[in-house]
Amino acid sequence: MGYNNSTKFAFVKKCFFDSGLTVFYMKISSSQMFRNLSKWYLSALMLLFLAGTFNSQAQGEGLFKAKCATCHQVFKDGTGPKLYEVRQKWADGGAAEGSIYQWVKNFEAAAAADPYAATVVAWSGTNMNKFPELSDDDITAIFDWVDSQVDGPKDGGGDVATVEGAVEEESSMGWVWMLLGVMFVVIILAVGGVRRQLKAATVEADGGEYNDDMSYMDEIKQWAWDNRKKTVVGIVIIVLALIVTLFLSLYTIGTVEDYQPSQPIEFPHSVHAGINGIDCKYCHNSVTKSKSAGLPTVNVCMNCHKQVSGSTPEQQAQINKIYEAAGWNPEGAGKYTGETKEIVWNKVHVLPDHVYFNHSQHVEVGGIDCKQCHGDMTKMVGTAKVQPVSELNKIEGNIQLTKTTLTMGWCIECHSEKEISQGPLDSKKDGYYDEIHRRLMNNDKSLYGEYLEDGKVTVKELGGWECAKCHY
Amino acid sequence: MKFKGLSSIAIAAVSTLLLGSCGADPDSAGYEYMPDMYRSAAIEPYVDYGEIRGREDKDAKMKISAKVPPFGTIPYYGTDEQEVMLMLPYHRKGHISMKESHGLYGFDLVSTNEYELAAGDKNPYTLTADNMDAIFAKGKSLYTANCAHCHGEKGDGNGPMMTNETYVGVPDYANLKNLGDGQIFYSIYYGKGFMGAHASILDKKEIWTLVHYIRKFQDQEYGKPGAGANLGVEGAVAADTTSNQ
Repeated sequence: MGYNNSTKFAFVKKCFFDSGLTVFYMKISSSQMFRNLSKWYLSALMLLFLAGTFNSQAQGEGLFKAKCATCHQVFKDGTGPKLYEVRQKWADGGAAEGSIYQWVKNFEAAAAADPYAATVVAWSGTNMNKFPELSDDDITAIFDWVDSQVDGPKDGGGDVATVEGAVEEESSMGWVWMLLGVMFVVIILAVGGVRRQLKAATVEADGGEYNDDMSYMDEIKQWAWDNRKKTVVGIVIIVLALIVTLFLSLYTIGTVEDYQPSQPIEFPHSVHAGINGIDCKYCHNSVTKSKSAGLPTVNVCMNCHKQVSGSTPEQQAQINKIYEAAGWNPEGAGKYTGETKEIVWNKVHVLPDHVYFNHSQHVEVGGIDCKQCHGDMTKMVGTAKVQPVSELNKIEGNIQLTKTTLTMGWCIECHSEKEISQGPLDSKKDGYYDEIHRRLMNNDKSLYGEYLEDGKVTVKELGGWECAKCHY
Repeated sequence: MKFKGLSSIAIAAVSTLLLGSCGADPDSAGYEYMPDMYRSAAIEPYVDYGEIRGREDKDAKMKISAKVPPFGTIPYYGTDEQEVMLMLPYHRKGHISMKESHGLYGFDLVSTNEYELAAGDKNPYTLTADNMDAIFAKGKSLYTANCAHCHGEKGDGNGPMMTNETYVGVPDYANLKNLGDGQIFYSIYYGKGFMGAHASILDKKEIWTLVHYIRKFQDQEYGKPGAGANLGVEGAVAADTTSNQ
């Protein structure tokens, strides 16, 4: 989102500037140029001037990004204070003229010479770097560029609002169904009442006596006795349907497809892994070393969120929860207070205790991509959920499976499909499975040939279907 | 009769409402066959330490799901002396101001500027002709996972976070040639400027591997004999940034 906006803007800027140049060229190339020398001279001067300001702007931007931006931002305090109109700020604060230039080159010298500069030292505990290599012109270019920036909401991306909307819609749909159900029951009962009244009226009109004491139950019993055959068939059908339903529902016990519990923070994977291109392994960093993929500790969140505090109130509300947990006070330069809180996430992929699953074995040794089991998280707008196998099969490069996600059938189906590693003859490779290929080839050629009948050595052939591999 | 009809309508309406409200709890994963086989008796990651085998610990309830090893615990890194030496705790301490700026509570901090002292530290994970390819390959995978979203695939500070303007102020490695190996390590370990400490997610061997990989951005010939002489020279003039624009 932010990406699109910025590129669009850059594109427009470029087009505008280029077309400006073309206009000038056209003027120069026209024959009028010789007749109207003074005009041409003016144009050339303007061109030079324009090019000059543009150059100094580009220089300012380049220098800012190279030297200042690691600590300073334009509109927001960071490790260093914001730089927007900082010259004005210093002048208002009563700093000596030129003192800020000296400060940039060597803040200690400036602080010794100017009492205002001395107060700036106390702004934060971190000292500013010294930049003796910058000339006054360089510094002016930086400040000019900074002051020419326009503050505006920068959309870091985020579809939190959309998620909420979807959830709300769903629950309101539930109410509609309930209302429809109630109306249906009311109509049926009303029709029943009308029927009874009509029946009573006809019976009375015939001169008979309508037995008003007969309850619904008695009527039903009477009807069932009158239509014995139909009733028996109906009951058999209902019982069979119930049995089938019972079995089907027993099969759903322990399956968790589409399970997406609520989380304390509405974490949008699509923004982090998608738009911002953060690798899964950065946040879930124990995935290559441990059985568990791991949830990021709050300090990992803060590696970016120290600076990224959200551009919409919804985002800010979510990110403030991280600040609270990290004990980060974002005011001014921002500082950690040391008072931390815990974030209690809900576990999504829960395997029973009698199953052993190890992430590092699958990701590091087996080289399986996260999306084989977890789906394409770069498009997952909300928090994690157990992706149904139909969704997983849509992803390019995934092994196609049929059984329900996170069931044993699903695991062993993949074990019988997955090839351990390619290139058995490439002696340069020294991975775990390359060694197995090598040993099979050297020690038991007939067995190796048997395995290779379908062109690959699968996990199953190396014991991936043995009970004790996963159950012990 | 009228009354009877009304009451049955009321009962039907109420029961429909009750049934309708029996929606499944979205935070419940559903039924289990044998919960006592599903729940671990031993301690697993991401379980609530507040209740283990029926014993309740009120202080830890809904608070702790992972624990720090007891103080003084040393991980086992095998018997290779070089490897063990490499993995010994980092001897440089963070600066005292990093408590508030980088949240380094629980770290041993000092007031002397260890960052400048770190300039003299050499990379103990020595590059040789044999291990060079492996180190750079490992460095690449570590870099892609941990650094590239900000520092960019090519180390020019133009990762996706920067190009979409979510984040600002990531330097180009080409401008940091004068940093010593030890300073790069120090910055990754404790953090620098906006960058947070990465000590919790990368071990020492991985950080030194990354230092090698980052050096490769700064000098294509890095690792080959005689190369890398222009790197880590304190006071060396950083490359002219304007010429890179």
